[in-house]
Amino acid sequence: MTTYKEIQGSTVQNYSGDPANPIKGQVWYDSSAEVLKYSSEVAASAWATGGNLNTGRDSLGGAGATKDAALAFGGGPPPAPTAKTLTESYNGTSWTEVNDFNTGKAQTAGAGTYTSAIASGGDQYSGVTETWNGTSWTSQSNSPNTGKSQGSAGADNTNALFFGGSPHGTNAKTTYWNGSSWTALSDFNTARASIAGAGKTYTAALAISGGTSPSTFNTNVESWNGTSWTEIADVNTGRQSGGGTGTQSSALFYGGYNPGASALTESWNATSWTETTDLSSARSGGGNAGASNTDALLAAGTPNSVATEEWTGAGPVIRTIPIS
Amino acid sequence: MAHKTYQYCIAENWGKGFIENNESSKITFRGYPGNVWQVPAHNKNANLWISKVLAVIKTKDEAQTLVDVEVTANQTTWDNDSVTDETSVEKIERIGDRPIDIILEE
Repeated sequence: MTTYKEIQGSTVQNYSGDPANPIKGQVWYDSSAEVLKYSSEVAASAWATGGNLNTGRDSLGGAGATKDAALAFGGGPPPAPTAKTLTESYNGTSWTEVNDFNTGKAQTAGAGTYTSAIASGGDQYSGVTETWNGTSWTSQSNSPNTGKSQGSAGADNTNALFFGGSPHGTNAKTTYWNGSSWTALSDFNTARASIAGAGKTYTAALAISGGTSPSTFNTNVESWNGTSWTEIADVNTGRQSGGGTGTQSSALFYGGYNPGASALTESWNATSWTETTDLSSARSGGGNAGASNTDALLAAGTPNSVATEEWTGAGPVIRTIPIS
Repeated sequence: MAHKTYQYCIAENWGKGFIENNESSKITFRGYPGNVWQVPAHNKNANLWISKVLAVIKTKDEAQTLVDVEVTANQTTWDNDSVTDETSVEKIERIGDRPIDIILEE
């Protein structure tokens, strides 16, 4: 019988899982799953549906280092008396209800991971802030920025940056949370609200799009270096309440409204924004999480959606070879 | 007879696996209120997805009616959410823009 080695010149390699960057046509044995696999093709960047939230809502906050480990909290529809205290945690497949906020709020901004997060601001207009330790929320001192719909970035509940927010056109504040107190930092250049944010540390962030009035859709993007904001390349289409994910050098901007709900998705590579594959459902005000321009999550959004979409960058499609 | 660019169907998004990466990288999906989905007409990948999710095919006019019902309900909710002496700008600042009409394409 002819062997694989005789045909290909090498034996099938063993991996505990999958190789890091398989090339098209590569065959290997996954010793963890005990199956033979191959890389059949290279898929384009695309959105796929994720698990539905348990409770539909919009204007919620989100946090999470990757699309497979995220937190969604609060939401509306506003105003405050109807804002929700609910928090749900995502494991890449399904959402689980976990402990509630102490104070219900919508249009709050979030940063961090699903085990260490912060939510600040919202339709309470008081700068109300809570931190998440993986199990429960703890109320903290109010932020000096009392606006709703702020932008945000940060690593965890001890390292977070918040910027702008309502009222539209006058709020250019930047605030930093270090785990115990707030510090006011330099204002950004164009005061606006409903901004998307990206960045995994308070010293390197992006403030993406938003509006200088409720009916204005700014294309401005500003970059933060820990000290000051600098205008960089604009997005192609300005939107309010869009999602922002990633880092200062690799980010994704998706959804929002302009003035109707948008499905547009734009990818940032540290130099320019490029339009890429749209969301399957246009919406705004969802909860966001993710690592970069190849890993993002959008949860819920207008109007009271339960839908989740997961963004995966271009990469190999791995299939199992059936053996009978 | 005019050539159709899109076809419409209704299907409830059950979550994970409803639309997969290898499907959305091949065709464009557009989801609308009322569980209405637009996918390309005369397209093998679109037809495979319709079969997978057991979607029910609708004409464009039928789909438009379903979308209109949902949008009208959302607009009514927006219209009824009022605060005394609030200006239109203040209202938009508080709850966002009024939901706009959605017109499906042929």
